[in-house]
Amino acid sequence: MLHLITGGSGSGKSSYAEERMLYISGQTRNQEEKDPCVYLATMKPYGKEALMKIERHRKLRASKGFVTVECYKELDRIRLPKNSGILLECMSNLGANELYGEDGTLKNRHKTAKKILKGIDHILKQTENLVIVTNEVSSEDKDYSEEILEYIYLIGEVNQELACMADKVTEVVYGIPVPVKG
Amino acid sequence: MIMVIGGAHQGKREYAKEMYPDIEWIDGKECKEQEIFKCEGIYGFHEYIAGRMREGADLDGFPERLYVKNPDIVIVTNEIGYGIVPADAFQREYRETTGRICTKLAARAEEVHRVICGIGTRIK
Repeated sequence: MLHLITGGSGSGKSSYAEERMLYISGQTRNQEEKDPCVYLATMKPYGKEALMKIERHRKLRASKGFVTVECYKELDRIRLPKNSGILLECMSNLGANELYGEDGTLKNRHKTAKKILKGIDHILKQTENLVIVTNEVSSEDKDYSEEILEYIYLIGEVNQELACMADKVTEVVYGIPVPVKG
Repeated sequence: MIMVIGGAHQGKREYAKEMYPDIEWIDGKECKEQEIFKCEGIYGFHEYIAGRMREGADLDGFPERLYVKNPDIVIVTNEIGYGIVPADAFQREYRETTGRICTKLAARAEEVHRVICGIGTRIK
């Protein structure tokens, strides 16, 4: 089962995604011993705001029994522990980490999209249930630089591919799940 | 509580006024802090939040207070979190705060309508 969850900022995507992950993987239904769900975190813990965000998410999923694995890029090489589900959060961070080099260089968008999708395929081989949180980043038209436009196009491209692959796509609107597919 | 949400210039206000033609509205951009707790309807709710944040008001517990004091309010608000994370720190915080407040209110609201291109869809 692949479930893609999207939405705007501050809309409650994460808490919905966590609930869905536990539900899909059977953690909320079954008393028998199961492998834990893995929370695959892609945000780099640099800077005050990022740390606060990470802390908020940690609190949100505390006591839900997730095992946290951090991976900021190159998901196509990751080895994940045995699990009943993986929650990847989030594509918008992973996209930025892959598109921009450490030295600030901009990589090719299409190649980056392919690399990300290869990473997703690789993860799908290691789990029965994958929930991916992504973001809506393209509904504003500002005077963006080329670097930012490339990022917007990348996320658009990846989101479309993921939605094709997904069994279910949901947009979370202020905490309300709006079905998009499945 | 009723919420009418959507992007900018989608016809939210017209939609809300058609649903509730007889109520009195205040404008979130201009109204005073306390007016929201007594009004029948507010449009530009996101501007109300921006105004309070600029004044340095404490918005902790604000959605709960609003729901308790004015449970029948009709709220018209922009959805503002659908772009790139803003470079400006205030804008980042404003966007996040508005989302969190609206998510809390939507959880309590009886109805949430989303307007796109003038067409409203009831999502709750």
